[in-house]
Amino acid sequence: MIATPRDRPPSRRPLRSWLSDWATAWNAFWFTVVDPLPLAVIRFGTGVLLAWSSLVWLLDADAFFGPRGWLAPGDVWRMNDQPWQWSWFFAAADPTAVRVLGGLSVCAAVLLAIGLATPLAALVSLLALVSAANRAPLNTFGLDDTLGMLLIGLVVGPSGARLSIDARLFGAGGGGGAVGTRANVALRLIQVHLCVIYFFSGCGKLFGASWWEGTAIWGAAANVQYRTLDLTWLAAHPLAVNAITLATLFWEVAYAALVWPRLTRPLFLAMAVAVHLGIGLTMGMMEFGLAMIVANLAFVPAAVWRRLLTHRPVTAPTFLRTDLA
Amino acid sequence: MIHGVEHAPRPLRPGLARVLLSIVIIGYLAGVIVAPLSGPPPASDLSRVLLQPFRPLLGGLYLSHGYRFFAPNPGPGHSIRWTITLPDGSSRSGAIPDARVDRPRLLYHRRFMVAEKIAGLVPPPDAPSEVRASARAEWLPLVKGVADNLLRAHGGERVTLEMVEHYLPGPDEVVEGRGGPDLVTPLGTFARRGRLP
Repeated sequence: MIATPRDRPPSRRPLRSWLSDWATAWNAFWFTVVDPLPLAVIRFGTGVLLAWSSLVWLLDADAFFGPRGWLAPGDVWRMNDQPWQWSWFFAAADPTAVRVLGGLSVCAAVLLAIGLATPLAALVSLLALVSAANRAPLNTFGLDDTLGMLLIGLVVGPSGARLSIDARLFGAGGGGGAVGTRANVALRLIQVHLCVIYFFSGCGKLFGASWWEGTAIWGAAANVQYRTLDLTWLAAHPLAVNAITLATLFWEVAYAALVWPRLTRPLFLAMAVAVHLGIGLTMGMMEFGLAMIVANLAFVPAAVWRRLLTHRPVTAPTFLRTDLA
Repeated sequence: MIHGVEHAPRPLRPGLARVLLSIVIIGYLAGVIVAPLSGPPPASDLSRVLLQPFRPLLGGLYLSHGYRFFAPNPGPGHSIRWTITLPDGSSRSGAIPDARVDRPRLLYHRRFMVAEKIAGLVPPPDAPSEVRASARAEWLPLVKGVADNLLRAHGGERVTLEMVEHYLPGPDEVVEGRGGPDLVTPLGTFARRGRLP
C-alpha cells in the first residue's frame, strides 16, 4: 500500500509545506523572466560614470598607478588583502603601460555605456575597476564600491539586450545572449546588495552620538574640506538640522525593509534621490551620489521606463503596480 | 507581494542548474554580508572567522567594504601640508588636497582620500608616546610614498609634511563668527631616497 500525503503524521505536513513555500518564494524571487530594460538603464548610467572616473584616473595616472605614486606597489599590502586584491597595474612597470591599461579602461566603459560588445565591455570594465581600486587603495571611496557592485550585476545579466547598439545590430539577444532569468538575477543581486550597503551604513551611524542628537548633518555641512555649497546658514536653524539628520538616519536604517513593499517603495526611492543629490551638490561628491541613484534604479519597474521612453506620463498606479506583467 | 521587479508569469522549471545557481547566489551574498560584518572595528571574532573563506572572492571582486559612510560621526576634515625644496634651493608649498588646483572635483576627492586615510592612522600630538610610536610604524611607509610622489611630481630634493586637522566649528561658533585653531601634526622631512636623519 502506498502512503499518500494524507497518511503522513500531521506534525510533518506543516514543515513540508513551510519548506515548499520557501522554495516557491525563492524561485519566484530569483528565477523569473523579466524585462531587462531597467538593467539597460543601469548599464548606461554606470558606463557613463565609469568612463568619467576612468578618465580622471588617467589625469594623474603616474601618481595613482605608477611605481613612484602615492602608494608604492610594495606597500599596497598595508592597505588591502594581498594576494587576493589583484590588479593588472601591478604588472605595469613603466608609464606607457600604465596609460595603455588606463586607456583600455576608458574604452571599455564607453562601449558599456553605448552597449557595443556589451558582455565583453562589462567584463573588461569590471576588471578595470577592480584593478584601479586594488592598486590605489589610498584614493578610493564610496564611488568605487558602488560602481563595482553595479558592474557585477551588469556582467551577470543581459545588460545590452535593450537600449544598446548590440540590440539594434543583432536584436534583443545580441547584448548578452537570450533574454531569460539572468536579468532578474542581476537586478536582484543589485537590489539585495544595495540593501546590505544601507543596512550597514545605517547601523554604523547608530554608534554615533551626533546621529542620535540630530546634529550629524551639521558636521558634514561645516566641514570645509567637503564643502561645495555653503550650508552654514543652517547654524541658525538647529531644529531643521535635527529633522534632516533624523530623517536621513531613519531612511537608511529602514531602507532594507521598506524599499520592498510597493506602498513605501516610492517614498524610499524619492528619499534616496534627495539624500544622494544633496551629498553630491553640497559635499562635492556628485559622482558618488549619481552612482547610488543609478543603483536605486534597480527598484524602478520596467513599466515606468517604458512609459518614460515613449514620452507617456508616469502615473502612481504605474509605479506601484510593479509585480504585474 | 513585495517583490521589486516586474514579473512575467513564466518562472523557470526546477532543475539542477537552478539549484547550483542558488548555491552560487547564496555564497556570493554571504560574502557581501560577511565583509561589512567583519570590519571596520568593532567586530566579532566569529565574523572574522567567517570572513576567511570569502577573502578570495571579496578581494578578487573588490567587495571587501565596511560601508560605514559618515559613521559613527562626521568628523573634521584633513589635509597634508607640504613644503618642497627644489634643486636650486628655492621652495614651493601646497596642500593635499587643494581645491584651487585639483580639478575636476573627482580628482580633488581622490587626492582628499590620501589625507583622510592617512589621518585615520596618525594620533594627535598629545597622544601617549607609546601610542604615537606604535602608530608611526603603520603610517610612516604610507607617508614616505606621499613624499616620494610629491618629489617626483615637482622635481624636488626634499619635502616636509604636516597633517592638518581642520577645526570643525559648532553652530554657535558660526553664528557668533568665532572659530578655532587647526591641529597640526608634523609627519617629517623626507629626501629623494628615504627620510632625512
